[in-house]
Amino acid sequence: MGSKVYFSTWKDEFIDNRGKPREEWAESNYNFPVQYNADIESKAFIGWAGLALFDEDVDVIKLATEYAYQYQVYSEACGRCAPGRWGGRILYDLFDKIARGEGEWGDVEHLKEVSSTMIETSKCEIGKTVPKPLLDVLNYFEDEIRELIEQKRPSKYYNDENINYISKVTAPCMDACPSHVDIPAYIEGVRDLRFDYSVQATRKTMPLAHTCGRVCPHPCEDECRRANLDEPISIMELKRVGADFETDHGLFWLHPKEPKPLNGKKVAIVGAGPAGLTGAYYLAMEGVASDVYDELPVLGGEVAVGVPEFRMPVDKYNVDIGAVGSLEGVNFITGKRVTADDMREFEKNYDAILIATGTRISKKIRAKNEREEIRGYWPAINFLDCINLYVKYGIPAPKEILEKNNLPTDKPYVDLTGKTVVCVGGGFTSLDVVRCAVRANADKVVMLYRRDEATIIKNTTYEEYHEAVEEGVEFIFYSAVEEIITDENDNLKALKINRFELVPDPDGGRPQLKKIEGADFVMECDILVPAVSQSADLSHLPPEWEIELTSWGTIKTDGKTYMSSRKGVFAAGDCEYGPMTIVNAVGQAKRAASVMSRYVQSGEITLTDEEIMEDHLRSLKVYDKKEKIRGWMPGLPRQKGEILSVEERKHSYLEVNLGLTQEQAVAEAERCMRCYYIAMVAV
Amino acid sequence: MVKFYIDGKEVVANRGETILQVARREGIYIPTMCYLSKVKPIESCRLCVVEVEGVEGFVLSCQTPATPDARITTDSKELYEHRQNIMKLYDVNHPLECGVCDKSGECDLQNKNLEFRVDSQEFSARDQYRPIQDWNYLQYDPSLCILCEKCVHVCNEVIGDDAIEIEYGGYKSRIIPKDAETLDCTWCGECVAVCPVGAFISKDFKYSANAWELDRIPAACAHCSASCHLYYETKHSSIENPEPKIYRVKNEFEFETLCGAGRFGFDFENREAKKDEEAFKRAIEAFKRADTIKFTSFITNEEALLLQKMKERFGYRLVNDEARAYQRFLENFSQYSGKSLYTPSLYDIEDSDFIILMGSFISSDNPAVRYAMTVSQKRHRSEIVNFHPVEDDLLKPVVTKFVKHEVGSEEAALSMLVDILCDEDAKKRAGKEWLESFDIGYLSAESNIGEEEIEDILKRLKMKKRRGAKRFTLILGEDLYTHPRAENLAKLAGLVDRFSEFDVMLIPPKTNTLGVALICDLDEEEGEFSIGYNQKGDFTLSALGDGDLDMPALNQQEGTFTNIDRRVVPTNVALPYEGYVLNDIAKELGVSDKEYTIEYTKELPKEKGYKEIEFDELDNEFLNDGTEKRGYELEIKKVNLSRKNIEPIEELPEFNGTVIYRCEPVLQFSPFTNKAHQLRTKGKLYASETFLNDLGLKEGDKVNIQKDNITISIEVERDGFIASGAYLGRFDKNIDTESLFKDYRFTEVKIQKV
Repeated sequence: MGSKVYFSTWKDEFIDNRGKPREEWAESNYNFPVQYNADIESKAFIGWAGLALFDEDVDVIKLATEYAYQYQVYSEACGRCAPGRWGGRILYDLFDKIARGEGEWGDVEHLKEVSSTMIETSKCEIGKTVPKPLLDVLNYFEDEIRELIEQKRPSKYYNDENINYISKVTAPCMDACPSHVDIPAYIEGVRDLRFDYSVQATRKTMPLAHTCGRVCPHPCEDECRRANLDEPISIMELKRVGADFETDHGLFWLHPKEPKPLNGKKVAIVGAGPAGLTGAYYLAMEGVASDVYDELPVLGGEVAVGVPEFRMPVDKYNVDIGAVGSLEGVNFITGKRVTADDMREFEKNYDAILIATGTRISKKIRAKNEREEIRGYWPAINFLDCINLYVKYGIPAPKEILEKNNLPTDKPYVDLTGKTVVCVGGGFTSLDVVRCAVRANADKVVMLYRRDEATIIKNTTYEEYHEAVEEGVEFIFYSAVEEIITDENDNLKALKINRFELVPDPDGGRPQLKKIEGADFVMECDILVPAVSQSADLSHLPPEWEIELTSWGTIKTDGKTYMSSRKGVFAAGDCEYGPMTIVNAVGQAKRAASVMSRYVQSGEITLTDEEIMEDHLRSLKVYDKKEKIRGWMPGLPRQKGEILSVEERKHSYLEVNLGLTQEQAVAEAERCMRCYYIAMVAV
Repeated sequence: MVKFYIDGKEVVANRGETILQVARREGIYIPTMCYLSKVKPIESCRLCVVEVEGVEGFVLSCQTPATPDARITTDSKELYEHRQNIMKLYDVNHPLECGVCDKSGECDLQNKNLEFRVDSQEFSARDQYRPIQDWNYLQYDPSLCILCEKCVHVCNEVIGDDAIEIEYGGYKSRIIPKDAETLDCTWCGECVAVCPVGAFISKDFKYSANAWELDRIPAACAHCSASCHLYYETKHSSIENPEPKIYRVKNEFEFETLCGAGRFGFDFENREAKKDEEAFKRAIEAFKRADTIKFTSFITNEEALLLQKMKERFGYRLVNDEARAYQRFLENFSQYSGKSLYTPSLYDIEDSDFIILMGSFISSDNPAVRYAMTVSQKRHRSEIVNFHPVEDDLLKPVVTKFVKHEVGSEEAALSMLVDILCDEDAKKRAGKEWLESFDIGYLSAESNIGEEEIEDILKRLKMKKRRGAKRFTLILGEDLYTHPRAENLAKLAGLVDRFSEFDVMLIPPKTNTLGVALICDLDEEEGEFSIGYNQKGDFTLSALGDGDLDMPALNQQEGTFTNIDRRVVPTNVALPYEGYVLNDIAKELGVSDKEYTIEYTKELPKEKGYKEIEFDELDNEFLNDGTEKRGYELEIKKVNLSRKNIEPIEELPEFNGTVIYRCEPVLQFSPFTNKAHQLRTKGKLYASETFLNDLGLKEGDKVNIQKDNITISIEVERDGFIASGAYLGRFDKNIDTESLFKDYRFTEVKIQKV
């Protein structure tokens, strides 16, 4: 963090190294994009909270002019309010007038007057914040401005075409979203009752609008500026409102734009989960065809077979999948497990490969006597497959699996009547396991978790944890299985469980978990479901490709272009990152598709300026927890959707979350402060 | 209820009410440029910012709900300066063409510039080429547009056309047709009505008058049963001709919405009429000789009462098939619902959570109902189920479930609804025979309404109720009134009204059908010699100017209509009329002793729910908060319930071969709309793409439509809004379509290309 800057007014910082030699320059507290990319250094950064110069030779008047210009011309987000629309235009015109040497002092006064009205009355933050760095220029570079006005000459680099000004519109929530969804735009769609715009805005970077309107852990809400005023916006729920409009009126499908015509290039995508689907979608948008392979008999990957119906109705997921499949060039092949030989063929027959196979091997809990063959030892991924394939698609659970776990085989589904189920975990998967177990009529369902309640909520969501508690799941915190106890026929009988406590580190480090001696106990149980984590099954990678892996056994990429160590082979989603969220998989695959769409044409691995800026802004961080909010009335409560009562949901797979009513959705959308910002780099 | 303070005055907000709404209701002024009461706050102008004690910066009053005890200040030096600056920004590059601008004199931009004393254009920017767009009845000038977005919001949120959108691009933003090269919509003209400046204008009105020269006559629209409130605006015809003419129609667009027929179809007056004493004498002779008066429902309540009085005096048969069908339907409905009238109003439709529509092609039958459904969908995400044989693509963004049924299967459809909507008592009331005839398998197979579709409706209904839905409305239309099984359909509708949470609305098909049905004692059959009133008779009285004696058109009359909201609404004389009126005949015949027709307003039948109120005492306005104060609502009376069972469901009729529908194209209701110079057109056979393909026809072909011994030669036009089928209208009086559709709105015909 921090780099030497020549001048900075970013946020609360004021650094003025003018007249000082470079080695004496003070360091900034902020992580500015000093190095634009491997080859190019930046000269300056200007944005919503000020400006920073990395070089003494920056033409700040031109910089300000360009910033006003970028705001006015490139900002798709704007043009919606009178002060922003015309004010922005005047800012640009007057700055340009000064920069080209035709300015007068009256222009400076007008600039200040217009800025003040924009700051106080603009509709969104972009209009309120654009004047900030421009006023900084007027205040701190008055001498330079005076010179231009008095001497009637253009600014130093006014006509220099070698300097590039690269801008990017963002928002705290967009920055926090791994898919960088244009959240203010889809919320605006709801607020304006233009639900088609809403879902189209979502699908610009997130094809799975129905899905992520339901099961996203919404990291965006942790970086929502509204939280600085009262409570964050219910961002995820609002995504669903636009998506539901598509199904309510049968408007299939509302795509963000017309896809480009097919260009003859084709890629193989391994895995039809969120990452694979997203890859196919954005490749098709760019005119690149794809064959999408999946070993499961159904499309959708882990979200289809892992996430239970009551959280993510498959009908809704299928609408998203249908949106992907509706694009020309997308071809799905299910029930096909890709092997190393297939991969070798793919390399010959396709222009590139995207691996999106997720993490479908349940990790062990590392207890004594832990063996796959124990009857009643049932890894989470397979447990959920068996339940969900039946509930969602009517595909019967395999008899041999039911038999292995001592369950009745005369029924096509998992019937846990009379059984005690213990799940070891603490993430989304484990909550899905226990809540499915409740619905499969288990007698008793227990969750063992090594840490505490606050951590499980942090790892999942407050709502889901509480819903599981209400449904009767017993949570035992600070606990772990030491040993699995089996009988002579290798049937699971009981678990020996250790208890832990959190001991503060005397040196001020992270508190440590310490086993409580003598607190061990034995719990009888019939089914043990390990759901601690999953790992990637990469057996389909040809060994001679020597694809580099991370230390936790996932495919290694640079995290920006998502190409693996083998040229033309890309990886996105959990098989790259490790078990993570849908939105993370979508974000990675969206980027990978973008890189691949250029790679298949040119053979080069490149990022667009938009993508480079996206990464820079993420490392600078857009959200500022300490910022004080002006111009909004505090105290308007966050709207909460209704959920089914425990009685209604406990024994059914009906969707638990009923979502917001229209009135609630609109009220919630009206709380959104449209915190768009524009940032620009001069290189 | 939230108590708070605006400029020191204690005020109370209802749930969800914003600061601006409360202020307006309380008569406290906050300036706005983009606020339009009937849509969601648009938030583009920013003029309505206010100060709130303890809150840094300014708060937008149009979208912010009040919080308890908040102290709001609506004006201060600083607010004034910012508002003044915003007006200066609005003025950037705004063309200084007020001298010739249509909006001059009633322009919000002018008004606010005046208010904030902006007397010069302080800022300017390089101008851009922005050509004027010519869209049929409308013209859009992007340089005059201030991008308040009112037009876009009203088109999407109230009308449901969703035909225009903003092309974003900062100061280059403009309004464009949505997903289309040029504008193709239902031409309601609300975009013109709500435009605060001269950007959206009526091409017909352009350069024809200054706003301040026009006289405004408050009236009720004469074209359909919504009888929307409107103003006819008149001025002398020309320098040579001092006779007034109507230049345009305006409406209270903040609260009310007008369709294109109302807005553009205003000059249907009977202009040439003079007092032709000879013709009048012949008329009196004819009345003496006649035994029948045939008439349409394009008359006032007072005229209807005069006809009724004539009948009582001379025993005329009063024949009005359309109103008689409605009257019978209403009577049968009443005997099973227990109420003299239906209860829901357009406001209730707007507030509904679940709407079922059956038997109406609503976007042309009654646009006001369509707009109300659009509002309910947008505001409450209501479920809207439409049962009809013809799918209307215009309704796609509004309807959540379209149930396509076979032509003639309405009895099956309504029976299936009775089955799922009503409790067991209803089935008991319907009786054993009906219940036995209710064979869902047969009904489903013959009507083509899948049982799973009905189950799906039930599922949606349960979910809506689960979410706290409060208002359920079943809207029935004209297909049912003229149906061969109308009597049973009406009874079934009565059962739904009485035994389910659904309230049933019966859309009156024509302007004053409800009034005629209540006031006149109608007969089924014509006699030997008939007087026709706006209908061809042996002696014809006509407001269209084509009869044996002229009558005033409805924009030349004062009186009242009984509209779809069961409201008795006044209308006034917009244009002079020099001929005879019905009351003159009534006087001559000794039936009337009153000088003016409106003296009968207070004599409308009280037993039907009318009140004894003088015409001149009737309100005709909207309050600041949108409350409609127009006339009065009819009182609903209790009706004795019939003890008779419902008849068993009859075998469903089969329609084979080529079937066509009777409805008007958008913008037409009758020969009166077709008389208006902007709407005048020749009647065609309007056909869907599939219909054209099936018959091997293309647009512009001439065809002969044959049924029994009737042949109609007509041109074919493609209607892109219907997914299947074809229809004929009645608005072109040169084409007699009446005889094709005697009993029902669908009919089997032979179509041959000529």
